[in-house]
Amino acid sequence: MSARFPVITGLGIVTAAGCGVDEVWSAITKGTGGLRPLSLFQSPRYGQMLVGEIKHDLVKLGAPLRGSRSDKLGWLAARDAIQSSKINFENTADRAGIVLGCSVGGSYDSEHFLTTLIKRGKMRARPTRFHECHSTVDLIADNFGLFGPSLTLATACSSSALAIATAADLIMAGEADVMLAGGADSLSLMTWGGFNALLLTDAAGCRPFDAMRSGMTLGEGAAMLVIESEASAQKRGAKIIARLAGWGASCDAHHATAPHPEGSGALAAMQAALRRANLNATAIDYINAHGTGTRDNDLAEGKALKKLFGETVPPFSSTKRFFGHALAASGAIEAVICVEALRRQELPPNPGFTTPDAAIGLTPITTLRPATLTHVMSNSFGFGGNNAALIFSKPEITPRTLAPRPSPVVIAGLGVIGPGTTSWREIQPPLPPGKVLVHECGALAEAATLTSNQRRRTGRLIHMALLTARRSHAPDPAQRVAVAIGTGMGCLDTAAQFIENMIAKDEREPMPAHFPNAVHNAIAAQVAIDQGARGLNSAPTCGDISFECALWQGISQLANDEADCVLTGAVDELNKYILAIGQRWETWNEKNRPGEGAMIASLVRAENFATPLARVTAVRLGRWRKPFDAEREADWIVASVDFKSVAIILSGAGGWPELEEKYAAVAAMLASRVGRPLEHQTYKQHCGEFHSASAFGFSVAVELAREKKCAVLLYTLSPHGGKAFCCVQP
Amino acid sequence: MEISTTDIKEKIITSLNLQDTTADQIADDAPLFGAGGLELDSIDALELVVMLEKNYGIVIKDMEEGRPAFQSVNTLAAFVNAKRSV
Repeated sequence: MSARFPVITGLGIVTAAGCGVDEVWSAITKGTGGLRPLSLFQSPRYGQMLVGEIKHDLVKLGAPLRGSRSDKLGWLAARDAIQSSKINFENTADRAGIVLGCSVGGSYDSEHFLTTLIKRGKMRARPTRFHECHSTVDLIADNFGLFGPSLTLATACSSSALAIATAADLIMAGEADVMLAGGADSLSLMTWGGFNALLLTDAAGCRPFDAMRSGMTLGEGAAMLVIESEASAQKRGAKIIARLAGWGASCDAHHATAPHPEGSGALAAMQAALRRANLNATAIDYINAHGTGTRDNDLAEGKALKKLFGETVPPFSSTKRFFGHALAASGAIEAVICVEALRRQELPPNPGFTTPDAAIGLTPITTLRPATLTHVMSNSFGFGGNNAALIFSKPEITPRTLAPRPSPVVIAGLGVIGPGTTSWREIQPPLPPGKVLVHECGALAEAATLTSNQRRRTGRLIHMALLTARRSHAPDPAQRVAVAIGTGMGCLDTAAQFIENMIAKDEREPMPAHFPNAVHNAIAAQVAIDQGARGLNSAPTCGDISFECALWQGISQLANDEADCVLTGAVDELNKYILAIGQRWETWNEKNRPGEGAMIASLVRAENFATPLARVTAVRLGRWRKPFDAEREADWIVASVDFKSVAIILSGAGGWPELEEKYAAVAAMLASRVGRPLEHQTYKQHCGEFHSASAFGFSVAVELAREKKCAVLLYTLSPHGGKAFCCVQP
Repeated sequence: MEISTTDIKEKIITSLNLQDTTADQIADDAPLFGAGGLELDSIDALELVVMLEKNYGIVIKDMEEGRPAFQSVNTLAAFVNAKRSV
């Protein structure tokens, strides 16, 4: 097992304080930050704020012309990480993958689409091509030849810490040998307006842990780490820079934006990381705090540190004033800082701090100084009370990291809101008017059972998630519950309303309540609050395999004994933008109709549940190669599925001829491998086309398995390159 | 002209999307936040900031500034009327 311990062999970083590890550390040594006035876009109301904006021309640094600003940032960090690890992905076959944390995706570029639409009444759909968060992963994976699991996680400010944790889980579970893991987020009107509307920003720059602190400073950037199994690093003679010894996640299940006032979720995440590392708190020599500089975060984090470490809180600092809070990228940026601190045996300071806050009662490191460091911790906390903590260790130590203990998983409950009707939906001006035939879930009568706060604050998509989660699971305070809910487009309608309002009114009269519900993980966070679920809270946004990525993460929590029950599924809703842009790109046709839906299943270990709906026996993630090779796909599936009882292959498709052909070819190839006919069924003719459709497919698979008393293989291909399968057995 | 407490209540209901509440159900002196009143939270406070800007042209840049005014409908009405008379 020791061969599977995750080690770090490469680093890449792009921030406002510098590009490349040496440049960033040089800024930290000099104490100079990268905060400057905003110039990336016009901000009539908040333009005087300091911001961590990257001033370099990203294309001149080598980024591809194609792609959003986030894509370019992520690509640059990936390139540098790969170069520094000297890895050659031609030798890693399908054993190398990527997990990226990203929250705004291509929002900065899509905002041009909305600005043009609102100010000039013209629809220029091109900038929306890279809107979705997984765009960066696809670009990097295609460019550098990664064919292992590829995931994108959007859990706001903890995204990339969770991405690094998930990469480590994949390596420990034997799903991959090498993972590129990190985060990328560009500045955008969305987050700029959002944090300003929430009055969470400090115009003069953040002052983490200082008595006078009054908010955060927004930043942008990317960082990537090459994480591989110790065996992989040894085999190729790679230099190990550091170890990833522990990782943990938790959810406050408390509020959409405010952290739990006692820091209970922050404490739980740090404890989970120590548990995985199999270390005592006394082993930690330094903490890179989340330390955003907001009144609430720093106070809650300080309380959590004191609860965990008692009187002897180790040296700690927030490095956010150097480069701003780069949101989904910040966990990875700070992971790189931690690895460098270990390598250089130096403690990075906490710029912006001058006056201790009696309420916090802790003083961070104020000047860079040498120290003996063996284990260091990095904290990342996000909206929705989403927390993650990572522990990095010197390469020389013998890790004690706990290995997963997979055990059979069953479905205890399942909730689905599927399409009830097909109808014509009108597209209204200023979008080009038209009519599209759609599959719709219709009005949600059960929404009346939600609390008045849920009804007034959250929209239809979150209502769909809350209701399906309730159908799948009754809250039980005795259970440790984790939540992993995927989404393709998330609360796009809420996000678009928020941005449209900002553009149309030049940032006057913002919509503060809209912002926290516009982030992708608002769905999982609201479910956690409703269910009291304080375990991992994840929001995979991986296009058409979002559901399967959530399923994998959920099952991994059970295997690592971090949860007794996981609520896993995916949700997406139809809105005017999806209709209009799909129509513009001629996606919709007679067979390929837009749809929507929600499915959430509660999964538990088989030994703990007597009357399951069905079992889930295999979940695998990867990327298909171009040109498509049905034989290779069949090999991949046969290698991990026991075909004795499989009688049905269930796949998406419905209007995309290129995907239909691929599914049919693989189904035929599988039948010839097992030497008997396999029935090939599809489900999108019932639910329409949407990113979470395979979650609906999962509910069909469960029904088929129960009715026909056979195993059903659910196989999903994303047009963007991702692929996944899972096996459902009675 | 004085802004009435009824006017303030109607603006609160609209801006916070309080679907199940009518103006006559809100007492003038009931706490807006915490137990025993509307039980609003920090996000509602921000929406109230926007409501003041939108309807009365009053700009609050720091939540600390708004805190004394956000105790009840009475304190909010007094704050609005005082700001408008300046």
